[in-house]
Amino acid sequence: MWKISSSSSRSQFRIRRSPPTATWSLRCVEDIVFEKNCEQERRRKSVGRFGFYFPTMINFVLLISRQGKVRLTKWYSTYSQKERTKVIRELSGVILSRGPKLCNFVEWRGYKVVYRRYASLYFCMCIDPDDNELEILEIIHHFVEILDRYFGSVCELDLIFNFHKAYYILDEILLAGELQESSKKTVARLIAAQDSLVETAKEQASSISNIIAQATK
Amino acid sequence: MNPFSSGTRLRDMIRAIRACKTAAEERAVVRKECAAIRAAISENDQDYRHRNLAKLMFIHMLGYPTHFGQMECLKLIASAGFPEKRIGYLGLMLLLDERQEVLMLVTNSLKQDLNHSNQYIVGLALCALGNICSAEMARDLAPEVERLLHGRDPNIKKKAALCSIRIIRKVPDLAENFMGPAASLLKEKHHGVLIAGVQLCTDLCKANTDALEYLRKNCTEGLVRILKDVSNSPYAPEYDIAGITDPFLHIRVLRLMRMLGQEDADSSEYMNDILAQVATKTESNKNVGNAILYECVETIMGIEATSGLRVLAINILGRFLSNRDNNIRYVALNMLMKAITVDAQAVQRHRTTILECVKDSDASIRKRALELVFLLVNDGNVKPLAKELIDYLEVSDQEFKGDLTAKICSIVEKFSQEKLWYIDQMFKVLSLAGNYVKDDVWHALIVVISNAPDLQGYSVRSLYRALQTSYEQESLVRVAVWCIGEYGEMLVNNVGVLEVEEPMTVTESDAVDAVEVALKRHSSDMTTRAMSLIALLKLSSRFTPTSERIKEIVTQHKGSVALELQQRSIEFNSIIQRHQNIKSSLVERMPVLDEAAYLGKRAGSSQPTLSAEKSSKPTTSAASLKLPNGVAKPPAAPLVDLLDLSSDDAPVLPSAPNDFLNDLLGIGLPNSSSSGAAPSTTTDLLMDLLSIGTSPAQNGPSDSNVVPSSAKAAESKPAPVTAPVMDLLDGLPSNASPPRDENLVYPTITAFESSTLKIAFSFEKQPEKPQVTLISATFTNLSSSTLTNFIFQAAVPKFVQLHLDPASSSTLPANGNGTITQSLRVTNTQHGQKPLAMRVRMAYKFNDEDKLEQGQISNFPPGL
Repeated sequence: MWKISSSSSRSQFRIRRSPPTATWSLRCVEDIVFEKNCEQERRRKSVGRFGFYFPTMINFVLLISRQGKVRLTKWYSTYSQKERTKVIRELSGVILSRGPKLCNFVEWRGYKVVYRRYASLYFCMCIDPDDNELEILEIIHHFVEILDRYFGSVCELDLIFNFHKAYYILDEILLAGELQESSKKTVARLIAAQDSLVETAKEQASSISNIIAQATK
Repeated sequence: MNPFSSGTRLRDMIRAIRACKTAAEERAVVRKECAAIRAAISENDQDYRHRNLAKLMFIHMLGYPTHFGQMECLKLIASAGFPEKRIGYLGLMLLLDERQEVLMLVTNSLKQDLNHSNQYIVGLALCALGNICSAEMARDLAPEVERLLHGRDPNIKKKAALCSIRIIRKVPDLAENFMGPAASLLKEKHHGVLIAGVQLCTDLCKANTDALEYLRKNCTEGLVRILKDVSNSPYAPEYDIAGITDPFLHIRVLRLMRMLGQEDADSSEYMNDILAQVATKTESNKNVGNAILYECVETIMGIEATSGLRVLAINILGRFLSNRDNNIRYVALNMLMKAITVDAQAVQRHRTTILECVKDSDASIRKRALELVFLLVNDGNVKPLAKELIDYLEVSDQEFKGDLTAKICSIVEKFSQEKLWYIDQMFKVLSLAGNYVKDDVWHALIVVISNAPDLQGYSVRSLYRALQTSYEQESLVRVAVWCIGEYGEMLVNNVGVLEVEEPMTVTESDAVDAVEVALKRHSSDMTTRAMSLIALLKLSSRFTPTSERIKEIVTQHKGSVALELQQRSIEFNSIIQRHQNIKSSLVERMPVLDEAAYLGKRAGSSQPTLSAEKSSKPTTSAASLKLPNGVAKPPAAPLVDLLDLSSDDAPVLPSAPNDFLNDLLGIGLPNSSSSGAAPSTTTDLLMDLLSIGTSPAQNGPSDSNVVPSSAKAAESKPAPVTAPVMDLLDGLPSNASPPRDENLVYPTITAFESSTLKIAFSFEKQPEKPQVTLISATFTNLSSSTLTNFIFQAAVPKFVQLHLDPASSSTLPANGNGTITQSLRVTNTQHGQKPLAMRVRMAYKFNDEDKLEQGQISNFPPGL
């Protein structure tokens, strides 16, 4: 028989799509998608050795505005561009329509999405069904607090115009879908150090380019 | 020069895009920007490369294609400066995913950067690797990452540890290399490194049993100490959240403890004390504390904890349940569902609270609670629970009713100890949410009523009463109409009155009224109307005074647009008018339906004796309504002739004229000659009675050539059942049907079943070609909406050849009201050595939404 996860077994399967009712002879062959979906599904459903699901990771992080505009996306599991667009569309529909008093968890396609609203922004994280939802809420808050310290009472506009900085900060907090640093101070320190590196490099560059510019005149 | 500090240009672009009033304007701005960036790329412009990439990232976030910028990321990463690398790596993580081939080109740059002397550049490379590395990259770069784990800088170490997690997830074989370094990470003091190290250990345990054993031996002690230290630590401002020092570390250590303590008494024993301490001492008035308690409870449930500890854990969940915060209640329900396997008794204690959660205003909580209640039901508590749920059914949201009804029905069916209670509960559900009750549920109810002679009177009276208030519940109307048709006289004469009943008087014309309303209500669907017509016919013989009126009602439908109704009314009219002498025997009460056979059939057991029956189920149940209408039903006139013939020339049919007629009318009585198929015929009666019959009738072929046109009708059904019908209708000798006697017989299987879809496979094989199997697949829609654009695909292992014939249709009507059939020819080139297997995928549109379902079929009967 076959093993689903090993890549060698892929070639074992040939897929046929049944012809549409109208055209009898037409038969088209389609390979990749089915296989991949199967594999993903299987991996997702894979049960631990003891028949127990283990919590794993954050699959993606999403910041959506009240109007449904995307402000930040970070994907830790593999999603194609097409899937990403679809996920964003689906989730923003679900989350934005939820009332204020309801719980912060939405079950979605076998995953759970933990979201939390800060002013006009929704911070969403998609996790595996057995992860600790309450902790994810804390991680979201942790992220927001660090943003707040960095920008000085952060607002949506800060995240729009300095979106890359929001990404840098997120990269210091999460890595590979797992928490990296629990100290806000450490994150702030690391970001500041890297920012100053950029500053020095910029100063140098501008002075050199000035020289070049003057030289070429 | 740098876009972000001087950065007017990036800012300007964002401003311009934000100023756009319409989507078209925005597209225009983006198009212009993209064109400029493309031009800059083709000129190989160095100065603005990072600014352009930053713009591209913003454009990408808006959802526009940006693939042309991917190479720019690589160029930036390859350049020497930190600012360029920083933005380059960000672009790499944002614009690319691990499936793009471009990614392979970056491996070399990554390798160089991992060996860079600047710690921040190493950090960037690790971050990128951890977020998007593919299996190939993981293999290539694992040694570098492993080396970094031994380094000195804590920031590099924690990043390297998390990066290793990704590497192990991609290539589990590499886990062994990381065991030693991971264990040594747990001895660190820096919290970031500890957190990363604990997570790495957790993932190692998942990937590899050796690693689990190794860590269990070497780290349990250390872990317990870490947890002790962190939970006893004095106020530490850097890590403090709401009075708790580093809850994230707490949670991660607890999680790893769960991995190590699972099925291992020694290490569990070692953890008991600290777990008890965390469970009792953690403050639960803030979310952070609850997050830790939640994780702690899960760990206690996961390991071999002492019973006292388990009680403590369940009590924590009980507290959670009564918390006012919805989030806490949600996780409590979630956890109780897992706890129920460990200690069902303890969970039972919180039944009332859980039941309250079913009525919550939050859909997420309701759903969880309902699932939990379903697990909680047992013989002892089914009555109060069912009562609560049914009471709630009345006030619940429309969108929740479907789920709720299904669960109530299955609870009631599964745990009912007495028929009266079952019937009562079902009546309540039917009158509150009859529209959500699935067909098989009310079919089962009818079978039960038919088997309970002492409750039939009670049933029909209750139904009549319920009908007065709930005419809009389709399923209720159907059951009521059926019962009134069958047991009408019990309704009028108050037969078998139970003590609990209130007395009531119903006249014969009242009963007819009730059925007439059901027939004429415009929201009634065809099945209901057809059932009403049959009920009227039955009543006409039972209530002689109303006979004239019934005749009129029936006559009104002679001109019905629905062919089915028109035909029935013409046939019935002819019976009422011209065949008084046989009418009473014709419309006799249904024989008792075989409960066991029906239940067996519902359970979908694939015993060979039932195989033929099962394959015919989708067609006979409801689709046969379609059949006479859609395909080639014999016109009504010849049928009347046939009736004439049979009554006038009774001797022509010496066997059993009534049976013959009944079969034609679909209100059949058990056919004496078909006793060979004994267990299944009776069940079929139920199906027949709902529609025009296809019950086996093996009466003489002599007169059936009156309706030669019906051959087609028979053809559209699966072969095994059609044979007798064909004999009856077009007089073909039985061997005209495919020579199935020579075929090997295989049981029909349910190849696939989900909430929306069911697929049954029946098999045929010719003895001379053992490799070749003909499979006819029958698709049934179990949901309440029509599925369109239905496409079925199948995949087989290499040693099998597959040929798919086109499907009979691409639209699948709702509620099993029709089926699609499709035949497959499978050639197993290794017949006898390897069993057949198949994967299937169904794509369809459900409520205008594209859906995809797939499954693997491995329950093929042996020998295929």
